[in-house]
Amino acid sequence: MTITGEAGAWNARETTVPAVTARGLTKVYGQGDAAVHALRGVDVSFSTGAFTAIMGPSGSGKSTLMHCLAGLDTVSGGQVHIGDVELTGLGDKQLTLLRRERIGFIFQAFNLLPTLTAEQNIRLPLEIAGRQADQDLFDRVVETVGLRDRLGHRPTELSGGQQQRVAVARALISKPQVIFADEPTGNLDSRSGAEVLSFLRTSVRELDQTIVMVTHDPVAASYADRVVFLRDGLLVSELSRPTPQSVLDTLMKLEA
Amino acid sequence: MLRTTLAGLRAHRLRLALTSLAIALGVGFIAGTFVLTDTIEKGFTQTFSAAADKIDVAVLPLPSGERGRVPTVPEATLEKIRAVDGVADAQGLVRGTSALIGKDGKAAGDYPTAGISLPEGPLNRTVIVSGAAPVTATQAVLDEGTARTRGFKIGDTITVLDHRNAQHRFTLVGLFDVGLDQEIGYTGAVGYTTATAREMTGQQGFRAIDVAAAEGVTQERLRDAVAAAVGADYQVLTGERFAADMAKANGADSGFLTMGLLLFGAVAMFVAALVIYNTFNILVAQRTREMALLRCIGATRGQVFGSILLESAVVGLLSSVAGLLLGYGMGAGALSVLAAFDAPLPVTTAALTPRTIALGLVIGLAVTIGAALLPARSATRVAPIAALRSQVEEQTFRAGLVRVIVAALFLISGVGTTVAGLTMEHGETALLVVMAGSTLVFLGVLTLGPVIVKPLSAFAGWVPAKLSGVPGRLAVENSRRNPKRSATTTVALTVGVTLMTVISVVTVTARATYTKQLDEQFPVDYMVQTQERDSSLPRTIAEELRTRPELTSVVAFRETLAAVGKGAGTGGGKHEVGTFTAAADFAPKLDTGSLGLLKPGTALVADHLAERFGVGAGDRITVRTAKAGTVALTVVGVSDGDSGLPGVTVPEREFDRYFSGVGDSRVMVNYRDGIDPDRALKVVEAATRPYPTAKVISSTEVRGQFDESLDMMLMVITGLLGLAVLISLLGIANTLSLSVHERTRESALLRALGLTRSQLRHMLSVEALVLGLIGALVGVVLGIVFGWVAAQTMSDDVVFRLPAPQILAFVALSGLAGVLAAVLPARRAARASIVDSLASG
Repeated sequence: MTITGEAGAWNARETTVPAVTARGLTKVYGQGDAAVHALRGVDVSFSTGAFTAIMGPSGSGKSTLMHCLAGLDTVSGGQVHIGDVELTGLGDKQLTLLRRERIGFIFQAFNLLPTLTAEQNIRLPLEIAGRQADQDLFDRVVETVGLRDRLGHRPTELSGGQQQRVAVARALISKPQVIFADEPTGNLDSRSGAEVLSFLRTSVRELDQTIVMVTHDPVAASYADRVVFLRDGLLVSELSRPTPQSVLDTLMKLEA
Repeated sequence: MLRTTLAGLRAHRLRLALTSLAIALGVGFIAGTFVLTDTIEKGFTQTFSAAADKIDVAVLPLPSGERGRVPTVPEATLEKIRAVDGVADAQGLVRGTSALIGKDGKAAGDYPTAGISLPEGPLNRTVIVSGAAPVTATQAVLDEGTARTRGFKIGDTITVLDHRNAQHRFTLVGLFDVGLDQEIGYTGAVGYTTATAREMTGQQGFRAIDVAAAEGVTQERLRDAVAAAVGADYQVLTGERFAADMAKANGADSGFLTMGLLLFGAVAMFVAALVIYNTFNILVAQRTREMALLRCIGATRGQVFGSILLESAVVGLLSSVAGLLLGYGMGAGALSVLAAFDAPLPVTTAALTPRTIALGLVIGLAVTIGAALLPARSATRVAPIAALRSQVEEQTFRAGLVRVIVAALFLISGVGTTVAGLTMEHGETALLVVMAGSTLVFLGVLTLGPVIVKPLSAFAGWVPAKLSGVPGRLAVENSRRNPKRSATTTVALTVGVTLMTVISVVTVTARATYTKQLDEQFPVDYMVQTQERDSSLPRTIAEELRTRPELTSVVAFRETLAAVGKGAGTGGGKHEVGTFTAAADFAPKLDTGSLGLLKPGTALVADHLAERFGVGAGDRITVRTAKAGTVALTVVGVSDGDSGLPGVTVPEREFDRYFSGVGDSRVMVNYRDGIDPDRALKVVEAATRPYPTAKVISSTEVRGQFDESLDMMLMVITGLLGLAVLISLLGIANTLSLSVHERTRESALLRALGLTRSQLRHMLSVEALVLGLIGALVGVVLGIVFGWVAAQTMSDDVVFRLPAPQILAFVALSGLAGVLAAVLPARRAARASIVDSLASG
């Protein structure tokens, strides 16, 4: 990896154990003639404390990859490790507990429970796990995403950007080993999108958080430290320190 | 548009299945009621028509105005009829009482068996099922039921009392079927030849005379001829008309049954309507985008409205048909159950009449379409632009002014009506008025439902939320996120729980009140009574009992009918005049005056008579006596109706001076403290042994009988209301599964965030539990209030009792039932794949 500067100093400490690793990952939907090979043997690892984007054209398998890495979906072959725990072979209950303890999620939409306030939504993962939120961390997270005056509001009273910021805060609060973000800015206007992406990057820098983000937007991808490209279920390329232009160029090449 | 609707229905088959079941159950109950009562009526008509084939003309006495006297046709009239031209045969029917002596030496049964005549020849209405009809004066037959319960068989010797209580012995030669005769079906009967029947019962006249026509004479011609011969003092009917009248009289009974059952059917349909309304409301809300899309591509509001109505019509039609089949099955099942319990019903196959089919379909369709009207209207309000919105807006609810005003109107008028009912005189009218008031209050609460459901869910959910952490708290939040939906869901359950609570409060209160009244008026351990009201006990029984050291107080009552009047006249009609033998601890309840004032020349008057005559203490009444001529008496007190005293009570000595030969009508006995009740009972029984008609009743027995009949009633009513509760549970299951469907992505999010499958299931169970508890709590509170109000209309001194165990059981069972209703939706939600669910919607 060719990471320099401040972030590189952060990562240098823990490069020995990647946050997430996949080896020979395959995923097949359906059977026989109708079988769809969504992943055809993906080897990839995501370093601790890094912000990585997964990109690829529609149908490339990027969402499937994320679901398999996060233990939301079962794999057909290969191995997935979150830290030192192997996901493949775990039952639903163990997977659930693993998600609870080690993984954070930010989805494109429908991220929040409409019945809960912003604060309750942020604290939800901890409460499900039966853990107490560290008040300092809570304050810091809330400060980072700038939601102090919105904590008592319900999701319907928040703008789309604010809702996604609540989702980011919720993902951060349990200090997971990795946060998976699935098109987190897909539903936002460009200004709100930029805000959310900045928060994600800040959290990597300041809270030493590991984030894996699926996106099809080159601008969003350019906020990451590294971009991996997927096509037809295979990892085909990757970029470090991406810019919107370099991402776009790579995509053009892939689709050509 | 039609094709779209039908395609939609096919796609949502499962979603509508529970709704259909709710309607089918309601329609099934109503249809079943009609199947049952139609079949019974058909059976009666058939049976009576068969009887009419034997009888060409029936001659009946006109009803007498006098109390306690059954009118008869005299022998002379029978002779007159026999002489009429065109009469082939005429037979008089004798009916009176002739008490059968059981194997224990006591008159059998609570009431003396009837004594009836079995005429020889084709005019015999009674069907002998085994053995033969009596032909000599020493032969008799018994009805099957009595023979079985008393253990007699053909060839046995039976002992029967005649009308003077003298014992006669007969050889049992046959058994007969009572058929549809409710009267002898209840008491049982001994059948004799006509001459013997007259001797045994002491009846000289006939209850009816059956006439057979000579060949070639029509019923109408014979009727006219007989009518001309007997004059206007009798009712002369053709056999056909007689059969129709009998069938109608029995039909009136089944009409009552129909009304009662239909009332429960109406409750069930009301609950079903709530379930349907809720289901369509949710379906419309969920299909907002679908509707908007239809509007975008050019569907008019009318078409959207029509498509929802069409959908409800198809659902209504299908479930009504299912309901009819269900109803036929339930009706046939009820008939076979009744038959298994030997109910006096004719045997026929269950009848599904065109009327039942039409009613079932119309009710099912009307209720379904009616309940879908409001949801259909709200569907037309969907703007085409909604198709483009990605997220369905959460419904927010605010208590509108209209809702509050309507609820207030209901509540005020309901409370007003109830209070008016409470101030009325006790009785049926007052009860009906307070029931109407309660219904209005209930409608008020129903209107307020969405407003009160939020605080109630916090209350009902307090413990579950405390106990089960995050899933519990999320569940409580979910139960209140859509107050209208929750309110409608729970109100359906409230209906059933309210009615059940009312019934149990009323029965428990009635029992307590009755027990208290018994303690007041029947403060006795044993009572010796005759089987028949008219006859009396020899005074020797009371005299002997008084000599026994085991017993403390022995009070004998004597009564006879005499003409009584206000002031100096005796024109007030015949009333019971009587006395009682004084005992130290016997104090009958008096409204005014005291027992000590009862001296020769004075009398106590019962409250009903005092009211009728308008007399009170100090006024004078006159009684025409048998021995002392007309005597004037001064009223010194008014006895309470519950005291058991006759209309006019005079001192014991005076009574014997006025009337002669009057025995004791009943003797009340208390045993000394510390005496074994069984020993006391043996003493009393020994004293009554020589007198077969003297029955010993213990107060615990009387209470037991009352308790038994109350329990029976409670069970039947609760069972019938159970249907409404079952339908409301379908509603809970339906609402929940639709909500689960609506919240697919939410559930997936929670699962992604680390909620385990069992926690998700748990969350939905708690939500259902909270819904069930809300419904039960409102129902129990309303039920207690309505029950209290209803009990107040029964009498002055109601002893109000709260059946706490039952009420707690209702609440607990409702909660449990809610949890059961959640099992399937919860399983489906927990099984769903997270990835698929995240992608859906």
